[in-house]
Amino acid sequence: MADDPRARDDNQMQRFDQEGLNRFSARQSVIAITITTLLLILFSGASVRHAGEEMKPGIGRDMVLAFGKPAGWLADRLPLNDVANRLTAVVAADDGLTGAGFDQPISQQPAGRVPPVTPESFDPLELGQKVRKQQLGTLLVTGDSLSTPLDLELARRLAPAGVDVIREPHLATGISNDTLADWGKLSATQVDEHHPDAVVVFIGANEGYPIPGLDGGKEVSCCSPEWAAVFANRARQMMDTYRQAGAARVYWLTVPTPRDPDRQEIERTVNEAIAVAAQPWRDQIHLIDTVATFTPGDRYRDSMEIDGAEKIVRESDGIHLNETGSSLAADLVIQDIEREFDY
Amino acid sequence: MLFPTIQFGIFFPIVLALNWLLMPHPRLWKPFIVFASYFFYAAANPKFCLLLGGVTLGNQVAAKLIHATDDERRRKWITGIAVALDLAVLGLFKYYGFFAQDVSDTLDAVALGLPLPLLTIALPVGISFFTFQAITYTVDVKRRLVEPASTMDVAIYLSFFPHLVAGPIVRAREFLPQLQKPVDPNHVAVGAGIGLIALGLVKKVMIADFLAREIVDPVFGVPQAYAAPDALMATYAYAAQIYCDFSGYTDIAIGLALLMGFVFPQNFNSPYRATGFRDFWRRWHMTLSRFLRDYLYIPLGGNRGSRLFTYRNLMITMILGGLWHGAAWTFVLWGAFHGAGLVTEHAFDGRVGRRTPAWLRWFVTFNLVCFGWILFRSGSLDLFWEFLSRFTVSGPATLWTLPVVGAVVAVVGLQLLPPGRLENLQIRVERLNPALLGAALAILILFVGATVPSQGVPPFIYFRF
Repeated sequence: MADDPRARDDNQMQRFDQEGLNRFSARQSVIAITITTLLLILFSGASVRHAGEEMKPGIGRDMVLAFGKPAGWLADRLPLNDVANRLTAVVAADDGLTGAGFDQPISQQPAGRVPPVTPESFDPLELGQKVRKQQLGTLLVTGDSLSTPLDLELARRLAPAGVDVIREPHLATGISNDTLADWGKLSATQVDEHHPDAVVVFIGANEGYPIPGLDGGKEVSCCSPEWAAVFANRARQMMDTYRQAGAARVYWLTVPTPRDPDRQEIERTVNEAIAVAAQPWRDQIHLIDTVATFTPGDRYRDSMEIDGAEKIVRESDGIHLNETGSSLAADLVIQDIEREFDY
Repeated sequence: MLFPTIQFGIFFPIVLALNWLLMPHPRLWKPFIVFASYFFYAAANPKFCLLLGGVTLGNQVAAKLIHATDDERRRKWITGIAVALDLAVLGLFKYYGFFAQDVSDTLDAVALGLPLPLLTIALPVGISFFTFQAITYTVDVKRRLVEPASTMDVAIYLSFFPHLVAGPIVRAREFLPQLQKPVDPNHVAVGAGIGLIALGLVKKVMIADFLAREIVDPVFGVPQAYAAPDALMATYAYAAQIYCDFSGYTDIAIGLALLMGFVFPQNFNSPYRATGFRDFWRRWHMTLSRFLRDYLYIPLGGNRGSRLFTYRNLMITMILGGLWHGAAWTFVLWGAFHGAGLVTEHAFDGRVGRRTPAWLRWFVTFNLVCFGWILFRSGSLDLFWEFLSRFTVSGPATLWTLPVVGAVVAVVGLQLLPPGRLENLQIRVERLNPALLGAALAILILFVGATVPSQGVPPFIYFRF
């Protein structure tokens, strides 16, 4: 390190002046990027429109749709999207999703028929019944960014005991937003691949997007009863997939109250919808109430008392749990798992 | 708004066209660039624009006051207050939770109760970068290296969107002159700009994220599930990942700026070619190294004193440099580790360094740097020790796949090639017709996009800092 800051200027600010690299014009700069943009529109314009449609209402969504709608319209009339898909198939991520997605219309009970209550609607443990414990071989921990670092906490505790803990966080995804991942298909693919004995799901940080209504037509906005119903149907489809016709157990964490009041309404609706979704299979789908633990009375807090000492449990974004909070959430999950599994 | 998103894909072509259209009219162009940059920043959280504006105005007032007086003591005081306020802003947003929790734990341990409210404060994206740039402006005015610029120019300097979120840390004296003399629209490095954007995308999405997914995240996440061979490969893979992630971001930032007619300083220069710690820091995150040297190490006294005094300054500089990366003891220790490396090198260089073959110096340096990355990547000291303990456990190499090993070898190996060859190839590509390069970029984006799995593209590592 030299002592005089003026003595050396190792920034190499002149490096583009050599070898004729700066021999082009501003016009060529704009033309080059315009060509890039046009080609992307022609080959992949529909994905811009799709991304815009899946965004939350606001100026960002309007901006993307103002561009995406004509781009999608143009791309729809050309066969280039298929060409691009075929060409890039060689390097495409091996994500071939299987099973039914959320784009299928939601079947409804015929009017006037009372849906039956089945024994599966009751958790035998809650009724004081004894349950024969199974051996836990494979545990899948999945969800959006909420599922990290909970997945790590669970893996660190269970892997040494021989449990195969599969961590599959899908960041920035949501049940009400299938731009990045359609959880209907994703859950089916996960089950096909891993056949887990138990699944831990922690998702809900990216919800509140407009979704097609019950008839699959006009979009409904969060957080009306209709939106909650569509969301609950989607969550129920995932739960049904994960429970594998009763062969597996699902531990679904509700979303702790976030700091942002606008988000609180979304999370309340999500939690209500999850509770409704789980009703038919309460013997297999166990809801883990994080609100009671982290935000009792639905009131946000950054810190709480753990083992007699005040600890920060949330990340600075006011949404996620930090390592300490995730460790506490892992305690709750393991407590529930141990009621039904040995490992 | 992040670079590899559809929103940015729409934002940038519009801003680029208007940038060149308005540039001959600075009265229109300057407010436009400030507006575009604040719009870019507001996409993350509009409230943080107030903070960015506050830092801009605060440092501009300080610079004007410093410039208005010749009294050195007064200049020093004003600079000190301005820098202290910048650091206070950084400290509050970035470190409050970390220190409050540690102070609380310590006082609890001695039964003194809770002295500070335990709150988490949202971290504004890029705060570490724009506060450092603000410091370079104020200090450089005090040092008479730059004249105070207009408030509009300072606003552009601090908010210019290509470097706003994760650098490089551009010094005031590198950027402000580019605003003061008109950019020549007939001398634009278009090919280099497009080439860097393409290179950055490949580094980030196809290499860094791939390595993270395939080996780094699994092994560093749950080290106890793996044995020595996987721990070793995960260490090298993380070295390759963090280089590709951060230098990939920098490449994109520099490329975007070039297309708009601006030049940023170089930030990486084949860091894994280094044959010592000093050499490493001249090649890795060079703009941070320069900042730490010019605005911390030298003001502390640099090497203008006894050997012990120099060592003290090196350690302080590197520990604070480590802490800059994040509020965690692992970062502090990582900084201390590099500080110790620099001190050791300083102490023995003359006697041992020159007699050691270059290949051996490279081998030792590379492996020590990789060892440091274990500290950097481990979420806590417990995990760091757990990870280290895996090196004593024998077992199979479960994650050594050909693509993983190939990617690691390629990232490190390409940096070891003689510099001329790759540069010549790069220059030849960058001199191609820009229209052709624009088309090639579109094809590359389609291919890179296809490799993104359903988990999505994780954020750049340095966004956290």
